[in-house]
Amino acid sequence: MKNKRLLKRGWFGDTVSYIYLTILALIAIFPMAWVLLTSVKGKGEMTGDPTSILPKVLTLDNYRTVIEQLNFGNNIANSIMVALSTTVIAILVSALGAYGVVRFFPRFGKIMTRVLITTYMFPPILLAVPYSIIMGKVGLMNNRLGLVIVYLSFSVPYAIWLLVGFFQTVPLEIEEAARVDGANKIQVFGRVVLPIVAPGLVAVAIYTFINAWNEFLYSLILMNSSEKMTVAVALKSLEGQEVLDWGVMMAASAMVVIPSVIFFMLIQKKIAGGLASGSVK
Amino acid sequence: MKLDNRVRDKLAGFAFILPALLVVGLLLLYPVVSSVFFSFTSKHLIKPAYEFIWFDNYIKILTDPDFWAAFLTSVKWTIASLAGQILTGFTAALALERIRRGKGAYRTLLIIPWAFPSIVIALSWKWILNGVSGFLPNFLVKLGLCETAPQFFSSGGLVFPTLVFINVWFGAPLIMVNVLSALQTVPKDQYEAAQLDGATPWQSFIHITLPHIRVVVGLLVVLRTIWVFNNFDTIYLITGGGPANLTQTVPIYAYNVGWGLKQLGRSSAVTVLLLIFLLIVCMFYFKILDKWEKEGA
Repeated sequence: MKNKRLLKRGWFGDTVSYIYLTILALIAIFPMAWVLLTSVKGKGEMTGDPTSILPKVLTLDNYRTVIEQLNFGNNIANSIMVALSTTVIAILVSALGAYGVVRFFPRFGKIMTRVLITTYMFPPILLAVPYSIIMGKVGLMNNRLGLVIVYLSFSVPYAIWLLVGFFQTVPLEIEEAARVDGANKIQVFGRVVLPIVAPGLVAVAIYTFINAWNEFLYSLILMNSSEKMTVAVALKSLEGQEVLDWGVMMAASAMVVIPSVIFFMLIQKKIAGGLASGSVK
Repeated sequence: MKLDNRVRDKLAGFAFILPALLVVGLLLLYPVVSSVFFSFTSKHLIKPAYEFIWFDNYIKILTDPDFWAAFLTSVKWTIASLAGQILTGFTAALALERIRRGKGAYRTLLIIPWAFPSIVIALSWKWILNGVSGFLPNFLVKLGLCETAPQFFSSGGLVFPTLVFINVWFGAPLIMVNVLSALQTVPKDQYEAAQLDGATPWQSFIHITLPHIRVVVGLLVVLRTIWVFNNFDTIYLITGGGPANLTQTVPIYAYNVGWGLKQLGRSSAVTVLLLIFLLIVCMFYFKILDKWEKEGA
């Protein structure tokens, strides 16, 4: 134990690390696995033998019920529409904003970080009250456009936060060279800077999409008719129905969680570290 | 001419940030101001007429024992969740940093909870821990650890730790990944030097690792404190604040006042108090962070 090299390379520490990580990984993936396994089990199988892990019969009946009887496809379409619109608008606004701060007001970077953290401090439940009043007033209650507007409130600050880090990596010389060649500011931004940060921009866009897709509270407060509900609220309302069928619930859950997890896997390397480090710079 | 260019530059820059400023102004600052305004009124969820009632809402809330119970629950919920998330996230990051094979695979598996929508967090855990046909209660009985299936959500002693566990499950990956990327910034040669001087791993950790990553980790703690304290979904979707208001936090109390009792004005007052409390807590955090940053520079 006294010798660090011994511990660093020692088999004991390695074994402990592997065992610890394996236990954590099992706990981390268990809910995902359980949702998927339950969703393909036959009726009565999980109530008959709750601890059997693998399904005896594979069936897609639960998924069929979700699509055909519960009309969940409609809720999925709502969520895609809302999340996609939010993403496009938020990325446009945030890319311009983040670039503007990095290139033209670099001294305000620190102040901006503080402002963004302050807005992050606003409790969603605090904003929910004025949102419901305002949306009622302007006639956007129970309206997907209204939901998109509200979603910008959290996606724009978050996207700016993440994007600032990516824009800071663009060398000023490249932009100056383009300016010498006669490009104006918009052209420099669109043709020189954006292509360089494109991978980061795509990652942030996907992250914005996931967050909008996952959102629950605002959707609960603003959307009250079942044909306009997003998936999160539709799932919650399933729970309140008289016949609670866990197989069906898990099939619907799987359809909501799988896109989030897959998209997140694709971008996690680009997003993850930036949350804290991007804002400290 | 030069000054002219500079002014034009600033104007162009302003054009770039204008849409973002509009979003922040219209969708964040204006609603907060309007919430403060409504907190002084008798605004009702459905009835359109309301009047200015000064501090009546605040007096009602601050004299309501349920509010104070919710506040205490919120503080406990935040401290317990954060402690669990940091401990798990930190140790997982250190373990990941250490191993050489399967790093990427472990990392990928460990971050899965992060992507979960709150409704699926709630439904999946409610199903796993379901007192009748849930996997875990029945498994514990089968192993002989419990005589009857434990009721994780309706038993007064179990429900709070269960919620905290679920919140740790969800939040630890974010801490882990950020600590992991902060660890990359620690210069490796300092470890070697310390090792030559005969420092123990624990000493290296305290004197080299921590000072290098504390600003990033500190900021992370600020962000997570805010997030957990404000969190509505997790508890609302799993227990709704029950059983018997045992897990009712301030955001849920505010929701019940606003959408249950339909007292939007009073609900606003609750959320304004929530924000004021967070601002005070964060001011302390930032004082510490500023000090650390200066020491680091």
